[in-house]
Amino acid sequence: MSAIGLKFAAPLLKRRHVLPGFRLSLGFTLFYLTSLVLIPLLALLLRPVSLGFDGFWHAIATPRVLASLRLSFGMAAAAAVIDSVFGLVIAWVLVRYRFPGKGLLDAVIDLPFALPTAVAGIALSSLYAPNGWVGKILIEYGIRIAYTPWGVLVAMIFISLPFTVRTVQPVLGELGQDVEEAAATLGATRLQTIAKVVLPMLVPAILTGAAMALARAAGEYGSIIFLAGNIPAVSEIAPLLIITKLEQYDYAGASAIGVVMLAASFVMLLALNGLQAWAAKRR
Amino acid sequence: MSLVVDSITKKFARFPALNGASFVAPQGAFVSLLGPSGSGKTTLLRILGGLEFADSGSVRFADLNWLDMPARTRNAGFVFQQYALFKHMTVADNIAFGLRVRPRAQRPSKADITKRVTELLALVQLPGLDARYPSQLSGGQRQRVALARALAIDPRMLLLDEPFGALDAKVRKELRADLRRIHDHAGVTTVFVTHDQEEAFAVADLVAVMKDGRIEQFGTPQDVRKNPKTAFVSEFLSA
Amino acid sequence: MSKQFKNPTEDPLWLKLLLGAVALGFIAILLLLPLALVFKEAFADGVTTFINAIKEPDTLSAVKLSLIAAAIAVPLNTVFGIAAAWCIAKYDFRGKTILVTLIDLPFSVSPVVAGLIYVLVFGAQGWFGPWLVEHNIHILFALPGIVLATIFVTFPFVARVLIPLMVDLGRDEEEAAATLGATGLQTFLRVTLPNIKWGLMYGILLCNARALGEFGAVSVVSGHIRGVTNTMPLHVQLLYDNYDYAGAFAVAALLAMLALLTLALKSLLEWRYADELAASHRH
Repeated sequence: MSAIGLKFAAPLLKRRHVLPGFRLSLGFTLFYLTSLVLIPLLALLLRPVSLGFDGFWHAIATPRVLASLRLSFGMAAAAAVIDSVFGLVIAWVLVRYRFPGKGLLDAVIDLPFALPTAVAGIALSSLYAPNGWVGKILIEYGIRIAYTPWGVLVAMIFISLPFTVRTVQPVLGELGQDVEEAAATLGATRLQTIAKVVLPMLVPAILTGAAMALARAAGEYGSIIFLAGNIPAVSEIAPLLIITKLEQYDYAGASAIGVVMLAASFVMLLALNGLQAWAAKRR
Repeated sequence: MSLVVDSITKKFARFPALNGASFVAPQGAFVSLLGPSGSGKTTLLRILGGLEFADSGSVRFADLNWLDMPARTRNAGFVFQQYALFKHMTVADNIAFGLRVRPRAQRPSKADITKRVTELLALVQLPGLDARYPSQLSGGQRQRVALARALAIDPRMLLLDEPFGALDAKVRKELRADLRRIHDHAGVTTVFVTHDQEEAFAVADLVAVMKDGRIEQFGTPQDVRKNPKTAFVSEFLSA
Repeated sequence: MSKQFKNPTEDPLWLKLLLGAVALGFIAILLLLPLALVFKEAFADGVTTFINAIKEPDTLSAVKLSLIAAAIAVPLNTVFGIAAAWCIAKYDFRGKTILVTLIDLPFSVSPVVAGLIYVLVFGAQGWFGPWLVEHNIHILFALPGIVLATIFVTFPFVARVLIPLMVDLGRDEEEAAATLGATGLQTFLRVTLPNIKWGLMYGILLCNARALGEFGAVSVVSGHIRGVTNTMPLHVQLLYDNYDYAGAFAVAALLAMLALLTLALKSLLEWRYADELAASHRH
């Protein structure tokens, strides 16, 4: 592998370089990436080929699989929207206001990144169960979160929040004060300034954050399975169905769902790259 | 109806920015605030624009107690050093912004706004660029758009904070001449901050030379140049 | 004396209070409440019960397995991150943008899909399955599978911190060292490494946190053999599903402490070395 890397490395270079290590570093990078990420992913992508189009379609087009995909992506979209709204508010408060304990609050935002999803899962489950701290209150209003599809939504909102805060926060911080001052001198009220000047400038960052939140939530497994009831066709997410099918040695079925999810990731990745290019052009 | 700036003081956290700055300029005058950095000229301009607040002192202008009004109602067009254009809006939308945010009763009709934008683009010599975005313009063009945007609200006063500071020498000279022409056309009282004495003398009717938060000398360019009142002024002008 | 107005770029008080309350309330309910619950449940019956739950042999072996998996995966991904950042930052070559996108790819793949792809490569019905069985090599349901899944989900962490950092640093210093007669290794150790060490620590910190906490991907390949192939997060699930809540929350609390330590170190690095890390945050 690295021998091939050596042969191909030199003509790849656009010009000659003084620094050594190009062949070694690129060779290792490509070898590591190919063997650990690309080839295994290829194993998944080639599955439908061996399955045949009909077999693939047959594995996907069952009510249970379609329901799980609808649940994963539908709830992920809802979570992305909710997190975008609250993420924007949190980023605004963290960037614009000064108050004691701000540093601590800022650090806590990354908790869903740092906390293992299984821990989040059992904590959320105990919290929203009918006898839990929050579940107890909600049940009085007839709202059940745990062991229903709403549990999926709550867990997704939890794990995706940092994405929306962390993409908006730096952009908001770098937004020049002078633009808002200009709006004020031109007669705009504070709310007009926020609605017509500040928010439109944040749109690319908000969309980027939402796309990342959506991608993360749609693929999430650990925190959800404890909180959702995992009832087939009701509260069963697509990643869980992959695992169920694997446990039943239904490799074809598991791979078919995996391919759909992987395709969705590629689309999200392309959309994100497009978004970033668009945002860079407006800068 | 003149602009009377009376003993303005302003302290920032540690250092005093303004130490009793005063001058009187007739309505429609073109005043340059000239001085080294840290002399308080930008602070004074921002106080006139309502972006900063004086600790004491007063400003009377057009029979109004100027400092008692918030920035929004002063109707003072402000031009920033780094343009401060709204990057997500076209040139036309930037210029129309101040008209569109007016309360419905005072807002011109759509057709009138379009007409006004076209007039202003002609005035700043950028006809036909209304559909462009700021990122598609050169620095000089951006500052022309910022000027048109400030003029769109029919300002009582035009305030410019080192508007040509980020531009190269040739563009500065062109814009300077255009600014003077536009001022004469609109007749609006103009205050212009610069640290470049050649620019100040070339463009203004009255020059205020500032140092340490005070106005060292105030007069016509000829007067200031011929009879510098203090050692600082003569030294600053010979530099 | 003039009347005092608010700064025109400052929000009115009612808006500040409203947004502040929304942000704080959302963070408190969504993030802090689950965290508080974990510690409350873990220490509900006193510290002794907590320590006894941790001292369970199966729990200790789960801790050991998690540490071993992280101790293999993190250094490998660190070496990869350095190699990838070196060739991307120091040379111009064709296909660089594609390479950067591919390195980020594992982030947008669902952890369960990450586990699935290794099953398709190494599983009984997978590409190398029959050969592995023939030679009695265990990858799935054993340590190698757990390490592979961990590598995949933590793949981009170090690289994505180092790439923007090293691109920002440029090539001047390394080229200067080369003209002064330094070898490639000397240049790296004496010039590059001191410049990137805090970024490197930052990347390793995040990589390690995710490696210890990964659930979905490891869940697919581990086989859940109690005391043998259960990592800490998997052990949390096992205890929880067996209604051993005290044990589950004890291990969960241990993981939560680790997460809090990670957040504290992360905040410290961000605060202390803001300038050095600034490049990584802009991207």
